[in-house]
Order: sequence, then C-alpha cells, then structure tokens
Amino acid sequence: MARRRLRTTAATFRRSGPGPRLCVGAVAFGAALSRPAGAYDATVDATFDAQLYQVTSPFGSPALSRHRYTETLSLKVYDLQGDHDPKAPELDAVARLRVDTDFGVSPEERDPTNERAFVPGLQTTPLDIMMAYVEGRNYVGGLLGFRLGRQYVVDALGWWSFDGGLARITTPVHVAFETYGGFEQRGGLFMLSTSRFEGDGVSRGSRNGVPVDLDTSYLEESRLAPAYGFAVESTGLTWLSTRLTYRKVIDRDTVLVSPFADSSGNFATTGGDRVSSERVGWAGTLTAAGLGSLRGDVVYDLYSQRTSEYAASLDGTPFPALALGVDYEYFVPTFDGDSIWNWFSHFGTTTIQGRARVQPVHGLTFALTGGVRRFVTEGDPATYTATTANATGSTSADSSLYDVLGSLDAVYKFARGTGSLRLMDEQGDRGKRRGGDVALRHFFDDGRYDANGILSLYQWSDALRPDGDVASFSYVVGGGYRPFPKTRVGIEWEHSMNVLVGQRFRALATIDFTVL
Amino acid sequence: MSRPRFETLALAILVAIAALLGATAAPPRANASLTTKATDAQNATNAQNAADERSAVIYPAQSIPLRFDHRRHLETTKLTCVFCHDRAATSRRSADLLLPDAARCDACHGTDHERLETVSAGVGPAKDCGYCHDGYRATDGNAVARAVLPAPHLRFDHAIHYAAKIACSECHAGVDASTVATRAMLPTMRTCLRCHSTSRAPPNKPAGGCDVCHVTVEGSRLQTTFATGKLLPPAWLNGAEHGPDFVLRHKDVAAADSAFCGNCHAEKECVDCHDGRVRPRQVHPNDWLNLHAMASRQNDPNCTSCHREQSFCITCHERAGVSMSGAFANTAEQGRFHPPRAIWTDPPRTAGHHAWEAERNISACVSCHTERDCATCHATAARGGRGGLSPHPAGFASDCRIAFAKNARPCLFCHAPADPALTECR
Repeated sequence: MARRRLRTTAATFRRSGPGPRLCVGAVAFGAALSRPAGAYDATVDATFDAQLYQVTSPFGSPALSRHRYTETLSLKVYDLQGDHDPKAPELDAVARLRVDTDFGVSPEERDPTNERAFVPGLQTTPLDIMMAYVEGRNYVGGLLGFRLGRQYVVDALGWWSFDGGLARITTPVHVAFETYGGFEQRGGLFMLSTSRFEGDGVSRGSRNGVPVDLDTSYLEESRLAPAYGFAVESTGLTWLSTRLTYRKVIDRDTVLVSPFADSSGNFATTGGDRVSSERVGWAGTLTAAGLGSLRGDVVYDLYSQRTSEYAASLDGTPFPALALGVDYEYFVPTFDGDSIWNWFSHFGTTTIQGRARVQPVHGLTFALTGGVRRFVTEGDPATYTATTANATGSTSADSSLYDVLGSLDAVYKFARGTGSLRLMDEQGDRGKRRGGDVALRHFFDDGRYDANGILSLYQWSDALRPDGDVASFSYVVGGGYRPFPKTRVGIEWEHSMNVLVGQRFRALATIDFTVL
Repeated sequence: MSRPRFETLALAILVAIAALLGATAAPPRANASLTTKATDAQNATNAQNAADERSAVIYPAQSIPLRFDHRRHLETTKLTCVFCHDRAATSRRSADLLLPDAARCDACHGTDHERLETVSAGVGPAKDCGYCHDGYRATDGNAVARAVLPAPHLRFDHAIHYAAKIACSECHAGVDASTVATRAMLPTMRTCLRCHSTSRAPPNKPAGGCDVCHVTVEGSRLQTTFATGKLLPPAWLNGAEHGPDFVLRHKDVAAADSAFCGNCHAEKECVDCHDGRVRPRQVHPNDWLNLHAMASRQNDPNCTSCHREQSFCITCHERAGVSMSGAFANTAEQGRFHPPRAIWTDPPRTAGHHAWEAERNISACVSCHTERDCATCHATAARGGRGGLSPHPAGFASDCRIAFAKNARPCLFCHAPADPALTECR
C-alpha cells in the first residue's frame, strides 16, 4: 500500500483528526506515555462496487432486482509515537466506514405502515462504522496495551465487535491478562451499527412505527446491550499459544414474549437485564518447529449449559513438498438468550477430515481433503414413530446420518498469472452437491491490465425434495486496468444457467484505490 | 433442452474453454513484468525451500566468487570470526556488508589490496590472484568477479547478539567446517526461535514478536510482498500454511491465535470477506444464489461464521417468498420448499419429518422462519399455540433451572407463567 511519510506535531494531529472524543483522549494518553512525537505514517484507501443482478424466486416470482452499491473508506494512522521500534510503545488509530445500499429495494419495503410490503430489518443501516479505534502497545515497559473505540475481538468465541475499551497486561512470566467492556455492536441502534455481531435466533431492530401486532417476531432493539469479558493467554512462547476467554452480553430491551395476543388482545412483554450470551472458550496450539502443530479449542455455553463446540487439528510436514493434516470438529449451534431456538438442537454435528498438500513441481500445488460428517439422531428416523417417544422425549436407540466430503484444490502460478482448479463433492443422507471451477487470471503489459475467467459446473440434489435435482453451468469473464500503483478499475460479467430458474446475469464494476 | 443433454453440453464447453485457457499459460517472457518477477521469485522460493530451508524471499540469491576455507582459518590458523569480520561486532543493520575488506587478507598472504585498482600479488600460493578469486584468469589483469550479497529482508542487530556473547556458530552453523560460506549457513526462522518467540515476550525475556526480525509496514505489520516473492508462514508454524485450501480452514488458526494472523493481515482484509462487499468466490462459487440452499441443507453452521440468519438471510427470503412470513409468504402447498405437509409437519413423525432437520440443522430453519412459525405448534395453548409439542431433548426438565434464571423469555414464549411445566425450572 502506498504510504506518505508525514512530519507532524501533536497540534497538527489535533487539527486533522476529529474522531470520537474517546479516541482523541486515548491518543493524548498514549502520546503522553510514549516518546516525543516524531513522525507518523498514514494510509487511506477506498473501494467502490456496483452490482446489478436479479434474484429469482425458485417459484418463479417474485424476481428481485438487486442494484447494490457499496463504498468503503479506510484510514489508518500508525506510529503516532514516532519511528517504529518493536520494543518501544506504539500508538495507532484505525477507522473504516461503509455505505452499503440496494437501490432495488422499494420504499414500500421499508415503510412499516405498509403491511403488505414491509420487510422488517431490511437495510436499516446503509451507513455504518465498521471499526474506529485507537490502539496502544508496549506501554509501561511493555506491560500495558489498550484499545478504545469500536473494535473486533477474534478468538475461540468467534468474531465479535463492540464499542468500548480493552486493556491488556503482559506479565514477566509468559502470561497476559486481557479485559474489556462496553456495548455489543447491534443493528437498529443509533451509532451506525449493523446486526452482524449480535447473537442469532431473534429478528431484532427498531420497531419505531411498526404496529404492535405486525411482525411480532421482530423484537425491539433500541437500548444498548452491555458486554464485558476477560481472557488469560500465553505470550512470548513459540511452542505454545493458548487463550482462555469469557464473555457475557446482556439484553435490556422490553420485548414481546409471545407472537400471539392473549384472550384480551394484549401482547405479553418481558424486560430487565437478562443474558444474551454467556460463554467461555479455550483454544491452544502446540508447535514443534520444523515438524508441525497440534491445535484444539472448546466452547461452553453457560446459558444453554452445553458444550457448543470442540475441535482439534494435527498438522505435520514430513517433507517440504508434502504437508499432512487431520481435523476433528464438533459443533452445535447456539443462539441469543432471547431466542427459543437454543432448545431445538439435540446433538451436534461431528466432522472428521484428512488433508494433504502436495507440491510436485515448482509453482503447482494440490490440496486434497476428504472426510465424513456425522449427526447422531435421537432415535432412528427410519423406524421412529411418535409412540416410541415417551412424554420426556426419550426414544429408541440413537442412529446416525452421514455425509461423505471430498475436495481437490489446485493452483498453478505461472509467469504472468494464476490458474486454479477446484473440485468438491459432498453427499449423504440429505442429498448431494458436487462440481468444480476452473479459473484463470492473466496479467498483461507489466500488470497494467488483467483478465480473468471462471467456468463452473455444479450439480446438486436434495433428498428431501426429489424434484430439486439441478445442474448449473456458469461462466465469468472480467478484466481490470491499473492506471496507478495500487489502484484498479475492474468489470465483470457473470452468466449462470440452470433448470430451476433459467438464465441469470450479474454485472459488477469495482474501483479500488489508495488516496495516500 | 433435456437435462442429460444440457449437462453433457455444459461439460464439453467447460473442458474446451479450460483447455483454451490452459494454452494461454505461456512461459515467462524475457522482459518479464513485476508480476512475472514476483512469480518467478516465488517459484524459486519454493525450490529453495525444498533444497535448504532458507527462504529466497528473505535471503535473495547471492554470489561469492571466492576460494576460501573457513575450517582451515579457524582450526589451523586459530583465527576468530571477528578477526576477519570485524564489522560484525558493531553492525546494527542486516543490510550492512560484513564481508572482510580484501585488505584484511594482506597481513598473512602478502598481498596489497589497499588500492583495488592496483592490487599487488602476494607470496607463495597467493601470488596468483586466482588462488582466492574464483574464475580469475591471468588475462583479466586487475579485474575480478565481484561478490553479490543483496541485503536480506530482515531486521538484525549483530552488535546486540555479539554483546550478549552469542557465538557466531549459534546462528551460522556449519561455517567452521566449511569452505566458502553459502546461504545454507545463514540462520533459519527455527534458529531465531530458539531464543525469540513469535508473540510479544515478557519484558525480561529476549524480544518477541514477528516484527523483531521481519521488515514491517504500517507500524508493526509485516511487509509480505518483496521483489523476491511473497512472504508466507512455514508449513509447520501454527498449522497456518497458506495452501490452496487455507481459505476454507483458516478459522481454526484465527480462533486459536488471531494475533498471529494480525502480524501480516489488517482487519480490513478480514472484513472484506466476512462482512464483505462482494461475494468471495473461493467460498461461494458461481450460481451460489441457487446452490446455497443445498449447502445450507447439508450443513448450515458453515454459513453462520459470516451470516446472521435472522437478519442477512431472512430479509432476502421474505422478499423472495422463501419464507412463511412477510409480504410474499409462501404457505401454499404447491411450490413448497419443503416436502408435503403430510410428511414434513403432520404426525406421525416419520423419516421425512422436519423434527429431524430441526434437531440436526436448526440454523437452516432460522434462515427462513421466525419464532412465530415454530410457536404455532410448539407453544402451549395458553400462549396461543396448538398444543405445546415439546421440542426439548430428553432430560431437559432437570436442566432448565439455570437457563430460566439467566433469561426466562424463551421459556415464557411457549409456556404461560403459571404453567406447571415450569415448576422444575424456577
């Protein structure tokens, strides 16, 4: 990414960096603790995407026109403390904004007074702040780190976002402590937020203007959802990386309890602080330098009182041209504490896969994966009848449903581009899905121009819907032009055809560029 | 067009165009572009890795056209490393040239390299320049082949390591038994990791973190693109080898140690796909709008790593009529997404009943249905349902107390507050 070296002072930064007050305060705090300001670097980049395509219902109508326009703008200011030194304090500021709108959405679909067209939750946040935070590292002799603002947390508990503060203490004994608190990023709030990071299982957003008896499963969300967590993790060890983490999010809004009115025509509600999610997770990796690694994780959901996930992987590199691995994973979905769906899953899904990566010649790499996915049923579906289950739900002997999984990926990097092949096959008791893609990207004129093409052929059949046996053929052609370094203008055309919905077309135009 | 004929035709087109595309994969041109150079370098990197583990991205190819015997100088002559490599003791940058000046040889070999344009021959064997200068011919006069030692793409401070009394052979293993030093005697990442770590070390330990050794951009983020190729993690490190399938399995690596990923990747790279603007084709191939239903049927939890079912999925499904709610709710028997009601929802519960799918893959249900759809049958009559068909697993009644205390809303969704079934949960 192109960079511009900017000589500056604290006063200059104050003039050019408005930002949230919290972030400015953090910058001042960090600057006070760090060395005198010398220089900082900044990158600003933006992307613009326009997509035109149609979504045709498998029943023929309606056909939705998608006229999507997405724009992102990113700013990163780093080394606010001066020149980078891995052992000295560091101070960065990051922000990313996005406009994501669909001009194919009709105003009626967003009008809560229009009962025949209103779609609750549809594009409530065309403009959002994806992240905006200030981060400091290596303060107080390397003991203290912090983040303030809208930020992500990625660990065994998943990918999550909140508004608030995070502090991290690195002790002299290879252990670091982290704690954070604030408010979960949720859609429907007033802070340019999306619903992407809140627990699933409830349709939630602003009910402002929505009649109480309309879309009763669409729950009110207008209050902040407090959240906090902490973690203990290893640090400074290459052979071991491990993190134990806990997080709790609280629902506060008063929401409808039942989607149905009672005998007097009223809707019951409930409110007060209650658990949205409360989970504890652990993940760890043991690495043997030059040989491979052993990795594992487990997540326990304290609300639904079940182990929602555990997994392990073993990777080894017996020869430079050959890497082998095996993965084991158990997963059962959990939902927001307000959702009824926590109580519908009985057992999780277990997947075991083996992997191999082979590099037979320079530039050509194959990755082969194969395995089995297993689900244990509470009773045998083939012989089950309601009478075999007693009032508590106990059933006849458990049974299993299986899927067999396989895939082959190959990439060939040649002088002026890349060619790739991807084949996949998944089949089992619930149907099959298989197919592949062949893709090529080719550069011309020292990379100023590029062209790409993809051919796809897929076939799938749903065991529950025998009439849904479908084959699909698609092709994509596209190209790009780089007028400046790190700037690309591209177009793409996609044409898909299958017996389910006939012909479908999609046009895409993109501009990616760096301002600084 | 009949389906078999359609598939045959499509397959034929696929193969034909693939062959055409493959034919365009021409060999490198002489005047290769930056892209070409990077790709060539990466191929060279792979070859180099296979040979001696030293990354050609980090250590560009070098040439030292000299005849020299390290073993003889160290064992027989009893010289120390810094006798010749004197600048190593004070060098702070990896780009510093630490080969001895030619004049360093003069004291023992009788040569005079003080003025390189008029070098004087030595005594004994060294009277011939070719004794040291590989490839030298008498007709070459004062011209010799020059050493080419590109700076490695690393940070390294010899002075700190020298002051810490770390022996040269700790990092340059094998030099003491070698003739001319080669790239194979440069330290590998494994060498560095004997003392340093890949994550931030406590203040009283040797500095830790990838940026201690690797060149950075944007603060502490590693520079990964060089003229010599692309810097990628070794296959043995954290299971993070970036092979063709890594995009589909990177979640475990990120979950176990996201800070490790953050050494090279900015968060915006994550959100480009996870909260993305354009469908990532490595995950969602062509015609995904039609194909995704089957993928969800098979294993919907894969979808929830990026998509929130009750916002991202259901709004589109309601608009397209693939839902029981919304303006285009599809409740008609004809064109149902699911099997006929008699099999899917009506008792008795047989092999095709929706209960199996709900137990196995409830996330797929959540992508189209609202809670109201389930409550219609599963809620008790007192809550407006048709009879309170229990979806709970065996033994649930004895485990519900904690959940009820933490959040009673889903309990009260189907059970009236006075429902005796809630007694055990209170």
